[in-house]
Amino acid sequence: MLHAEFTCSIGDFFLETSFNLGAETGVLFGPSGAGKSMTLRVLSGLKTPSDGEIVLGERILFSKAKKINLPPRDRRIGLLFQGLALFPHMTALQNVAYPLPSGREKRKKAEEWLKRMKLEGLEDRLPSQLSGGQRQRVALARALAAEPELLLLDEPFSALDGPLRRSLRRELRRLQHETGIPMICVTHQAEDLCSLGSKVIVLKNGRTLDTFPIERLWEKGSRGEAWNALGWGNLFRGTIARCGDGAGFCFTGRNVRLALGNCTNMPGEGVVFISPDTIRLLYPSLPIDPELQPNIFSGAVQETVLSGNTVRIYLETDDGIVWQSEHPAESYRELRLEPGSRVRFSVPPSGIECWIRGEAREGYSPPNFA
Amino acid sequence: MTGPLLVSLRVLALSLPVIVILGGWIGWILARKAFPGKMLLSLLVQLPLILPPSVTGFYLLLLFGKTPFLRHLGVLFSFPALVIAASVPAVPIMVQAARAGFSSVNSEYEDAARTLGKGEGHVFFTITLPLARRSLLAGLALSSARALGEFGVSLMIAGNIPGLTQTLPLYIFSRVETLNFAQAHGAALLLALAGFSSLYAVRMLEEGRRR
Repeated sequence: MLHAEFTCSIGDFFLETSFNLGAETGVLFGPSGAGKSMTLRVLSGLKTPSDGEIVLGERILFSKAKKINLPPRDRRIGLLFQGLALFPHMTALQNVAYPLPSGREKRKKAEEWLKRMKLEGLEDRLPSQLSGGQRQRVALARALAAEPELLLLDEPFSALDGPLRRSLRRELRRLQHETGIPMICVTHQAEDLCSLGSKVIVLKNGRTLDTFPIERLWEKGSRGEAWNALGWGNLFRGTIARCGDGAGFCFTGRNVRLALGNCTNMPGEGVVFISPDTIRLLYPSLPIDPELQPNIFSGAVQETVLSGNTVRIYLETDDGIVWQSEHPAESYRELRLEPGSRVRFSVPPSGIECWIRGEAREGYSPPNFA
Repeated sequence: MTGPLLVSLRVLALSLPVIVILGGWIGWILARKAFPGKMLLSLLVQLPLILPPSVTGFYLLLLFGKTPFLRHLGVLFSFPALVIAASVPAVPIMVQAARAGFSSVNSEYEDAARTLGKGEGHVFFTITLPLARRSLLAGLALSSARALGEFGVSLMIAGNIPGLTQTLPLYIFSRVETLNFAQAHGAALLLALAGFSSLYAVRMLEEGRRR
């Protein structure tokens, strides 16, 4: 359905992407600065690649060899911007009606879209008078009203948290199911990836590292090869259950046990993901914040990698697990870390993302927005 | 006073389109495009704003009086010269306002409109222009006041010919020269009112933006 293979450069950043996508939801996954948003801009035609080919269905959108470069307006690719880009001088209805051809049907169709996104009664509100979740749905309605053949979503949930995030994810799955429009979603959060996507496209430093179906994340082995392709973050498979003392939920993997903060009501076989920047190193001489008490580990620095303003540290615990942690380059200078130094670190329960197997395939229920 | 008033209004009516289109266009280019010599262009455009009107007038006099083709157009000391004299110092004001206005429009809105299937012209008139509206209108109010009150450059290249190139500011000058203060008062009051309304309009536009 979509075939994309292109190279593109801005300043000294070089992007080299290659992937195929069928009628499914692809997730562009990778750390910040990997080139995810730029990939979406190239696909939608807002940025012209220096070489390559982009084909959607039967249509060639871009081909260096054939000298074809369709402008954004002719590509029929919807783009949901990270900041939503709702036109501030237009009401919800006018925003949704914007892509529709003028005529008698225009208003009716826009109203239908608003109704479909459960936004009745908000037609005459300006974007500034809507809540975060409502704005998100107006932007989705507007993108879908243009009847795109491919919908791109740039971190669609970045501004939302908790329940709103989950209900919008459900909404998106429902829309994908109903409309059959293939989608590409950009995220750097593992939770979104696992509950939204059917195919993962892993980007790192401007390169497509791997493309694989989401199920491969569940393959046997303490850390699937698929995840290792990403080479970023800490992922463990295991069981989520009530802790021994019954106070909360705990995760038990092959070599690791963690107290969990946000993951309630979800016992079962599951996965936890810890973004490297949530890990805190502990100073030996200072008292420890109660929030950091539950999951304290001790290990040796294996390697430190400085890239730009952040430093990534690979920490190996005594049972052989290698953790990744990331910090601003100027932090922890007093610890004088170098390969071999011993250090204690904590994994704050609130920073652990978790989900149980099968959540991604659960049936959708009617959205319940705050 | 009716004669000079009519001349002034005709000058304003003819110079406004020049100010809006030329000033708006240069402002848009400076806000949105990157090209070699952009800095130089922005400095040159601002020059008439700070040069003494006699200097601007002097160079225009040379341009229209000595340049081969322009010399034969017979622009100097005629009504068209008044329109040029009113436009030249007013355009920079419009350029500044338009540049600020267009820069303030987040280009993501325009990109969104493009991905929704709209062409460049449609995007400009439905997104860019309405969002830059307040700055543009404020620029319009200030530059019209400047054009209406233009004196020095007009005197240099259009003269002060009653019935032909005598605008309200030039009329006031002539009346004062002949010690006819009553008539000067009337015309001065009219221009002061026009200036006040223009400032009031700008103020209202600023208030609306903040709300």
